Amino acid sequence: MNTFYFEEIEEGDELPAIDFFLSKDGVRQFAKTAGMYFPRFTDDEGARAEGLPGMIAPGVMSLGLLARMISDWNPAAVVKRIGTTFRSPVLPDRNVHLRGAVTQKNDEDHTAECDIWMENDDGERWVIGTATVVLPVKA
Amino acid sequence: MAHILDMHLHSEASDDSRAPVEAYLKWLARKRDERPLEGLVLTEHRQFHAAGDYRDLEDKYGVLILKASEVETDYGHVLVYGVNDDILKRFDFKNVRLPAQEVISEVARMGGIAMPCHPGRPTIGLIEHYGKRPPLEGVTGVEALNGGSKKGENERVAELISQYGYHAFGGSDSHLVSFVGLCATEFDRDIKNMDDLVDALRVGGYRPVDFRSPRPQTQVAPEV
Repeated sequence: MNTFYFEEIEEGDELPAIDFFLSKDGVRQFAKTAGMYFPRFTDDEGARAEGLPGMIAPGVMSLGLLARMISDWNPAAVVKRIGTTFRSPVLPDRNVHLRGAVTQKNDEDHTAECDIWMENDDGERWVIGTATVVLPVKA
Repeated sequence: MAHILDMHLHSEASDDSRAPVEAYLKWLARKRDERPLEGLVLTEHRQFHAAGDYRDLEDKYGVLILKASEVETDYGHVLVYGVNDDILKRFDFKNVRLPAQEVISEVARMGGIAMPCHPGRPTIGLIEHYGKRPPLEGVTGVEALNGGSKKGENERVAELISQYGYHAFGGSDSHLVSFVGLCATEFDRDIKNMDDLVDALRVGGYRPVDFRSPRPQTQVAPEV
């Protein structure tokens, strides 16, 4: 992981992608740790009883994964604002792909606006959003 | 001169997007080789963004920028092109249950054209409603390629088009800067303004174009 200064990034830069298998056990572990150990996040039968197609990942888990993509890209970046729209339930037991790009730079406050999203193997975007990050400047 | 336009996208004027119009234009300039667009049609949710004046940006970036609306009806979401004072007086775009048949018929009578978008999408797409109620009269075309659709949605639209003989167009439905122009519409004729666009949409001579790249093979980690 590298630290990038504000001056070193460009509009159009892509954030390094993260591709991983989202397991049911991983979601259960998150739900337990976050105090969200509810059926919709822990077992398929319980989730189906609530009208869902199966157990899903909590929204804050997706948000956290996308924030982690930013900190992996640049550990010195401070996430000032992050916002997401949940287009579909995030279903575990399949591959998940995190993507992002720098879309705007603001010279006045040394922030960058990033697009961030989570998609599946078919390119369906389950979660889309943006983040404003503050970057260090060269002395 | 514009033959390829993104017919469906949202700027920061919509309540669910933070994308400035200039950021879209910069992104397109950067991606010109992959997404050779010559025009954008901003379709803000439940409003006509009358205050938006993009003439300086058109000159700066050499891209045609037109304004339209995405409204919500009892048959799903509909894009309205050629919005004018008569249409705005006739319909309250904030109403999320606008009567679709009236929107289609009255917008046409008043000089515009209303076309269903993402018709294959559950709840807010035309196809689900056609399964329960009579088809709308006066529909000339539908958004056959939507950049935000899930697997199967665009495929369902192909059946609809085959059954009803609708024209097909495409749009990115972008809410994020980097998604602009991934799906668009190619016109046989040159589109210079909204009148040209409405005329073209009425008669045909256009088709959806897909500029999305196939997903590369990726190494997937077992967990993060």
